[in-house]
Amino acid sequence: MIDGSAAFVAWLGAALIVLADGRRGLALGVGVGTAGLAVVAGLDAGLAVAAVLTLGGAMAALGRLRAGPGGWAVMPPGSTPRLILCVATALIALWIALGITSGESAALRFAVLSVIGLAGARILSSVDPDVQLTAVALLALAIGCAAGLGGAEVWPYVGAALVAAGAGWLPLSAPRAA
Amino acid sequence: MLPEAVELIALAVAALAFALVFAPSVIPRRSLAIQGGAGLVAGAAIALVPIFDVALLVLFALAAIDAAAAGAQRFAVRLRAPALAVAFLAVALIFARVEGPEVLGRFAAVGLVAGLAAAVGLLPYIHPFDGGDESPASPLVWMAFAGPLLGVSVVFRAESVLSVDSGQAFAAMLIGVGVLNMAWGAGGSWLTSSTDAAWRYSFMADWGLVLCGFGLTVVDGQRAALLALFGIIAGRLPLYLASRAAPAPKALPERPINLVIAGALAGSAPFVGFAARILLLRGATTLYWPLAFALALVMLAWLPGSLRLGRSLNVAGGRQAIAVTLVLAVNVAAGLYPLPLLTAAGL
Amino acid sequence: MPSAAVLGPVVLPLVAAGVIGIFGLAGTNLGRLIPAVGAWGCVAALLAVWLPVRSSVELVLGQLGYGSAFDMRIDAASFAFGLMVATPTALMLTLQPRTWPQATISLLAMASAIAALEAGGVVLTAIAGGTAATLAVVLLEAEDSRAPRPSWALLLAGWLALSWVGVLLQVRGGTAVFSAVPVSTVNNAIFALLALSALLVSCLFPWRTWPAQLWSRPSLRAAGVTIATLFPLGFYLLVRAYELGDGRYPNGLFNAGLATLGVITALAAGARAQAAATRREFLGEVIPFFGGLAMTAISIGTALGLVAGIVMLATASALIAALALLPDRAGFASLLAIAAAVGLPPGLAFASRVVAVEATFEAGDFLGLIGIAGIAAWLVLMVGGARAIGLPGGRGHPESETFPNVSLGIALAILVAGPAVAAMQLAYADPVAAEVMPGSASSLGGGLVSIVTVSSVLPAVTLMVPLLLFGVLLYALVGSSAIQTESRPVLFRLPAAAALARARTAARSLAVPAQYRSILNMRELEDAAAGGKPVLWLTALVALAFAVTR
Repeated sequence: MIDGSAAFVAWLGAALIVLADGRRGLALGVGVGTAGLAVVAGLDAGLAVAAVLTLGGAMAALGRLRAGPGGWAVMPPGSTPRLILCVATALIALWIALGITSGESAALRFAVLSVIGLAGARILSSVDPDVQLTAVALLALAIGCAAGLGGAEVWPYVGAALVAAGAGWLPLSAPRAA
Repeated sequence: MLPEAVELIALAVAALAFALVFAPSVIPRRSLAIQGGAGLVAGAAIALVPIFDVALLVLFALAAIDAAAAGAQRFAVRLRAPALAVAFLAVALIFARVEGPEVLGRFAAVGLVAGLAAAVGLLPYIHPFDGGDESPASPLVWMAFAGPLLGVSVVFRAESVLSVDSGQAFAAMLIGVGVLNMAWGAGGSWLTSSTDAAWRYSFMADWGLVLCGFGLTVVDGQRAALLALFGIIAGRLPLYLASRAAPAPKALPERPINLVIAGALAGSAPFVGFAARILLLRGATTLYWPLAFALALVMLAWLPGSLRLGRSLNVAGGRQAIAVTLVLAVNVAAGLYPLPLLTAAGL
Repeated sequence: MPSAAVLGPVVLPLVAAGVIGIFGLAGTNLGRLIPAVGAWGCVAALLAVWLPVRSSVELVLGQLGYGSAFDMRIDAASFAFGLMVATPTALMLTLQPRTWPQATISLLAMASAIAALEAGGVVLTAIAGGTAATLAVVLLEAEDSRAPRPSWALLLAGWLALSWVGVLLQVRGGTAVFSAVPVSTVNNAIFALLALSALLVSCLFPWRTWPAQLWSRPSLRAAGVTIATLFPLGFYLLVRAYELGDGRYPNGLFNAGLATLGVITALAAGARAQAAATRREFLGEVIPFFGGLAMTAISIGTALGLVAGIVMLATASALIAALALLPDRAGFASLLAIAAAVGLPPGLAFASRVVAVEATFEAGDFLGLIGIAGIAAWLVLMVGGARAIGLPGGRGHPESETFPNVSLGIALAILVAGPAVAAMQLAYADPVAAEVMPGSASSLGGGLVSIVTVSSVLPAVTLMVPLLLFGVLLYALVGSSAIQTESRPVLFRLPAAAALARARTAARSLAVPAQYRSILNMRELEDAAAGGKPVLWLTALVALAFAVTR
């Protein structure tokens, strides 16, 4: 029950990143997604892992709050396709996690697949660097959590947290004219 | 620690040092050092860290930093392909680890191949290219610096995460994508209107050889891939950097050196590309001789593009002439006697 | 003889090239002395290694990394072909002035060709031969990028095909060393590939290819060296093929097919020669003619044919030097060159062709008919030669690179060497047959004065010395006044030649019809593929996933 809810929360966080354009919405998305992933991963791998992931996600969320488009801008006009994407991704991830694959950690499978799918789609579809970096942060956390499917040590989680934290604070050079 | 990876790291270090010493003045040394060094360090980390997931994260970090670095293109566009590569590789790992039907293993293989192609910038995941970029910020750095280490890493680790059946699918897809890139790259370097794009396509063609070599599961294939990577790092990359100097004035007569460069780029004897081709043909013949026939046909397509690229260098003398001569000499030596390279890589 | 001596013929020109290059980069042109020393040093090294022992000397070092060891040897075949390559090249490098880059590249090409001939295995031969081809193309392009040159793609294809042959032999038989390949390894497919490689390497085709085209270049310095170094290599492969097959080709059809192709090539070259517009154009077809007949002789599968082919090739190699040094103007040198080329008795060309035709008759059946076709081709060339005497010289070449007296001397030597054909066969060609056709070589007999075949005896000295004396007497009495130099009409024209040229022009001018250009727009295709479009990326992923489930 808890793991299922946490997986849903992780999906919700990723969906927020897809649907939001403002820095507050994005930060909330990172925070929610981090919470969900941390709980799901922590249930399998332990509290230390959850703490590491939470720290990384928190740093990413804080970094997003200080840079990026202002406001929330959740579901701005024209975001219906994005909403459909979120729902479709959830359904597909659910199908794969429960229907095709087997074993324990179905919640973890759902969480990482849905977050990777949504974060990847957001990177591909967005032209705003801040939005992309937010997606990078959550995608990194998901990759770290996916290591738990293979019974990994703590290092993937540490690496994921570092990448996520860095993505939230990465300075961008101004593009030069051609 | 893979001996091949160690050798490629040493090569990449030497190539970066060479580039810093001999790169033309239009390329700022500082950005070359910083970005080249970052690419090298990240590539080494990708190859050397024992956990695949950590390697993915290092790749992701490199992609983000590279995209954020100074350059003419927008950050968004430059991040897409490497980020997609990471996503593909991550999903591939998930499919490889979970329990489920046999086809999941094959999908994992798809993810690994697609991820590798997207990271390096091969067809069908070609990185958007802007010829006005300074060389270090150009996507070619992925192909020639970080890409070789990533390629070796992915292929090696694939052996441990994939089953026998999905491993065969992985190998077959590598060969398929490899042949595709060989054909596209060879044709593109000849027919495209932009010389910078022609260079990029020539790298793709060489990477096609690499992928075919990796896909041939016999040791000759691995040897061919290593020699092809050597040719990319120690041959094509320095020559590409040399071509970034002022474009060749059309009034200048063609000098012998331009044709020798064309020969080196085309993989003709006695350069290292020819040795790589011999080993590739050997490996393909061992497994399935019609494949060798197809590869031999495609190999001939290197020539027109290489002639064009050879003519694009204006080897005016001085440091550049020394650099080009050194590159050619190293390639000849490796082409005639590649055994030390192969032995050092444990092949 | 120490094994390391086999490296001499390769190392000496390499060292000379290095010295020339170093001094050249420093701004000093060393002239013709160092190239001459390097090239003649190669010739001397070949002689020094072979003559004292007259048996194979081999040097085998460690593995190189692509399934082949460093294996170099000088045996009868590599000696014979080595002299064919090195001697005319040395002569040209000695006499013709060159810039230091040209001299360097010429010596490197020569060294590579010799290395290809000395290589003990197929793969190493392919690498060295490919190097020679690359250098030849560089040499020609550097001299004049607008003048005709061989298609680099064709040359590369030939050497790549040979490397694949080597690979196939390694995979199937465990080795690609000429003398060690199991006979059963060389099947029809592998031999076909080997034969194709030989044809591509020397461009032995009925249509006009680079062995003829290069003679039309404004300068013949690079052309002469290129033909001297590259042209014999294809024949070398056909000769070595006998060694791979323990003295024969794997199927009689290959003998017949290659012999037929050879005579067709000779016939076509003769037809083009008799329709030539200038004397240079006529002389340009001489080498392909020789090559065609030599291929016929070598391919028929008998030892007699093989030795006749070797002698013919040696004659051709001498003619290469003569033609490269010959100026494009009327004169006794030009006259003698034509006489030597068309095979007037008692010249070496005449004698070798007679032996070759005899060999085809002895082989019998279809091959005998090929001999008759060869005679017909020879006749056509003779008619062409008679006509060529009255033709204008050609576009002309720089005076500094022509040496009419030397050319005259070579042509004269060919003409008077006919009586020595038996001695030449005994000393030069028979060892090659013994090397590659050990079972059949015993059928060769004779001595210094005659050639003994299965069915007859050709008393070379007895027959040709009187002919030679008669010719000298005739010339002494009549001089050259009896030689009519007015122009004569063409005997016939090949309709196919024009058709081929028209087909090529039509192929080059092909274009996509305007109404379809929007579909096959390469630029748009490139933009679509390289534009970084996520839709394409995801579609490709789906396609891969679909493919992998089949």
